[in-house]
Amino acid sequence: MAANQKQVAISEFFEKNKHFLGFDTLNRALITAVKEAVDNALDACEEARILPDIVVKITKLDNKKDILQLEVEDNGPGIPRASIEKVFGQLLFGSRFHAIRQSRGQQGIGITGVVMYSQLTTGDPTHVESKIAKEATAVSVDIGLDTRKNKAIKSNQDRIDWGDKVHGLKVKTKMKAKYQRGRQSVWQYLRMTSIVNPHADILFIDPDGEKHHWQRVTERLPGRVEAIKPHPNGIELGQLQRLCSESSESRMTTFLRRTFSGVSGRAAKELCEVSELEEKLKPKSLTPQQVRALLEAFQGERLLKGKPVKLLNPPTSCLSPIEELLIKKGLSKTIDSKFVTTMTRAPSVTQGNPFQVEVGLIFGDGMAADKPVEILRFANRVPLMYQQGGCLLTKAIESVDWRQYGLDQAGGRGVPKGPAAILVHLASTNVQFTSEAKEALSDNETVMEEARKAMLEMGRGLRKHLEKQKKMGKTKEKFELINDIIPAIAEKSAALLELPVPDLAGSITKIMSAVIAETTTTWNKETKQTDVHITLYNYTSRARSYTMLVNWPERQGATMVGNELGGRKEAMGVWAWKLETLQPGSRTVITYSLDGLEKGDWNETDVFYRGSQEVIGATKMDEKLLEEIRRQEEALNAPPPDDKGDEDDSAEETSVPETVEVEPSAPTGDTKQTTLFGGDY
Amino acid sequence: MAERKSIEETKTALHDVVREMYDRIVKGEPPTMTLPVRTKNNIGFDPKLGVYKYGKKQTIRDATSLGSAKQLLRALHVIEFIESMIDDGKSSTLREMYYISEGWGLGKFQSQNESNNLAEDLEIVTRCLREDFKLRPEEDGARMIGNLTLRERNRRGEWMRINARDDVGDSGYGVPYNVEAEKIEFLEHDINFIMAIETGGMFDRLVENGFDEDFNCALLHLKGQPARSTRRIMKRMSEEWDLPVVVFLDGDPWSFRIFASIAYGAIKTAHISEYLATPTSTYLGITADDILAYDLPSDDLSKKDIEALNAELSDPRFADGWWQEQINMMLEVGKKAEQQSLAKYGLDFVTETYLPEKLQQLGL
Repeated sequence: MAANQKQVAISEFFEKNKHFLGFDTLNRALITAVKEAVDNALDACEEARILPDIVVKITKLDNKKDILQLEVEDNGPGIPRASIEKVFGQLLFGSRFHAIRQSRGQQGIGITGVVMYSQLTTGDPTHVESKIAKEATAVSVDIGLDTRKNKAIKSNQDRIDWGDKVHGLKVKTKMKAKYQRGRQSVWQYLRMTSIVNPHADILFIDPDGEKHHWQRVTERLPGRVEAIKPHPNGIELGQLQRLCSESSESRMTTFLRRTFSGVSGRAAKELCEVSELEEKLKPKSLTPQQVRALLEAFQGERLLKGKPVKLLNPPTSCLSPIEELLIKKGLSKTIDSKFVTTMTRAPSVTQGNPFQVEVGLIFGDGMAADKPVEILRFANRVPLMYQQGGCLLTKAIESVDWRQYGLDQAGGRGVPKGPAAILVHLASTNVQFTSEAKEALSDNETVMEEARKAMLEMGRGLRKHLEKQKKMGKTKEKFELINDIIPAIAEKSAALLELPVPDLAGSITKIMSAVIAETTTTWNKETKQTDVHITLYNYTSRARSYTMLVNWPERQGATMVGNELGGRKEAMGVWAWKLETLQPGSRTVITYSLDGLEKGDWNETDVFYRGSQEVIGATKMDEKLLEEIRRQEEALNAPPPDDKGDEDDSAEETSVPETVEVEPSAPTGDTKQTTLFGGDY
Repeated sequence: MAERKSIEETKTALHDVVREMYDRIVKGEPPTMTLPVRTKNNIGFDPKLGVYKYGKKQTIRDATSLGSAKQLLRALHVIEFIESMIDDGKSSTLREMYYISEGWGLGKFQSQNESNNLAEDLEIVTRCLREDFKLRPEEDGARMIGNLTLRERNRRGEWMRINARDDVGDSGYGVPYNVEAEKIEFLEHDINFIMAIETGGMFDRLVENGFDEDFNCALLHLKGQPARSTRRIMKRMSEEWDLPVVVFLDGDPWSFRIFASIAYGAIKTAHISEYLATPTSTYLGITADDILAYDLPSDDLSKKDIEALNAELSDPRFADGWWQEQINMMLEVGKKAEQQSLAKYGLDFVTETYLPEKLQQLGL
């Protein structure tokens, strides 16, 4: 009787909570299943430092009853035979629920939910094949659930030969589900996943047999994330009680220093003082009242000389941002458009939880100009596909007046319109959602402010791009005018009058009456280099002399080759050529190539000049900005400040500024954000 | 006065346009084309001709921007094309020229409108007519019914005698695109006036009711904004036979414009106003006060209608007191009405009551 009740309980639990487990509609159930399997694959590969190859295949089994089969295969480390039943057959299994670090898996019930849904809707078990490197053959097994005991039921267990494949995991499951296209679809989920996981190769075979392939664009795996200790600002009463009662420390001060991040020796003493606890007290022996007092001290409600106890920020090594260059690549491979700008903010902290905001914007042809921009939201590299309107990340986009940056937006509020897609990624150890559905981030002023700042910075990049486009368009027109139209007018009029074709030099100088720089930056398939050509024309009636400067990706490891005019390094990433005097009607060509880059890394070169007459197609060098870049360079090259060693606490003291309340770190970490284009104020 | 030019005169006039461009290049300046400003701000009444003509304001189209440079190049292509047609004894429609421009590379037209405008530009600058350029319009001329006899030279070069009442069906005599003396000669008539009508529906109504015979007049269907040949044939008939023209249009701002182009000359073709406009024509209706006096079914003026009326208030062609009164009245009432709204009082109301009353006011 009791056992029976439990069975009812687990099935009922699942049934009742379908909406926040992600199985409430037939379309969403499929997306959730794909999500659980793919997130697991990505997490496992990341931990094992393997570049993921993932294949997702969906087949229709029974159209009338909406029965689909889902197969997900990866090249991850595989799961040892003994663990398979735990991973697939036990709800809420896994170590990641306790570690404080950024992980994908925070956001779901886990693959067991899929097994359960499959069993509830089709009655069939889920087929699993797994091979680990040190075993010669793969395990093949069917997993079902004993809902009475919250345990797996294994059947058909066997060993099979996988040929050349050294390790990996295959999951095959049937379920009642519907495959749909559109903004909320498996396709969109995988597409978004591939944007923020540029190191993954994802192949999707849809029910019509159509293949969608998102290729790997970088060999670089995401940085290893470290687990960190909890920070006092982010702790809750129950958690604190548990930490105290489970502690084997003999003194409160040691307990505080060793259990939490951000607590120095002095802070530990002061925390004891304000919460009226003896320093030598055993944490285990704390009464509930004492735990409550300690929590109040943590939250700054108990004051020492009128101030809360000074705590340090938690370390941010637990975060794994995607980083600007990779966002750029991810966006470019998925959306075929020209201009991409990205921004990764320095890590910041809210309520004891480190977080970091990254944004990206892609702009150009191939996207609808009169529709709202596409918003791509991510939390810890996991796509958020539902509840766009209620999400903090959407609100951050809506709070920016995009009109000043060249996008349409009614009244300067709301989702802007234009041929663009905006990506927002929040990396955090503790992502706060509005509800259990985990599809929208809840409001948080600190995060909002960071996201807004990132958007503004990115917006400036877009505006500069658009201004440049416009200028380039005008220059291009002028060139068409003097290279094609005027000669044609001269020839045609001469022919009609039966007179000789007149000399055009005078007319052309009058029409242009300017010095013009024409720049092309193109990827050379054969040499695998990026070729840059700059032609400077003097269409004025006087001789002119200039120094021309360009920006180039020196910091990203590029080298400059084939630069016949020589020139000199002006600053990090800035090269200069002092040109010989340019006579009226003459031109000079600067050419060089950039080696060590990949296609798409460098699409636009900014050209600057020093000289009295304006150069169309180039910007007058801002010497102050150049100074600033040089200063930053010196600062970067200076020897790092003394490091006291590897002990956690002291290392944090040097790397994180001491602040009493945890505030978003002011743009001190923004050194690299002053560049020739971004740092205009 | 624009007159028909000989082949040599036409060629010389066109070469002058080319010469201006060429000479500028030789001088080391951007090539240019000088032409009158073609807006209502540059039309003025010519008391000698009794029509509105372009004033002295000139605009210089110079090749310092891509757009105008392309216009100059196109003009050269068009001139070359016209010369070749003159030499080969051919002609082409404006539409054909637009398609032929496909082969002109950088000088090709982006739209038919562009090629039409350029043909007009050349007419203005050279003081030639497009007939001299061997360019024909696409637009078809009007239809006409009434007891008048003319002769028209057909394709085989033979003269055909046609009575526009007895020799035609219900759709009337079709006015060809060329109505010059080499094509049409007026022989005799038994009519007292010419009535120009905006819509086909009203034209057919008057034909069915036998209005032309009852009132001894010729009925001419304008088909909206009348084509050049329609305006030209009215002008010739009115002048050569000394007949008054009355114009019967819808009662809206656009009809006022149609009347202005018939009576005073259109802004777009002010260079040949004396050749197309009939200064003696009279606006019969629908007037703004007709809407009130006959209590006609009406529509509210749209935003565009109001803009057009306000523009007309500052148009020199509407400067006289009667027009200012009509325009202001329409703005005040805020209504417009169609010719056919007269049908409110039955199919015969227009021929038995409205038109007789209006004609009587005009003394016809």
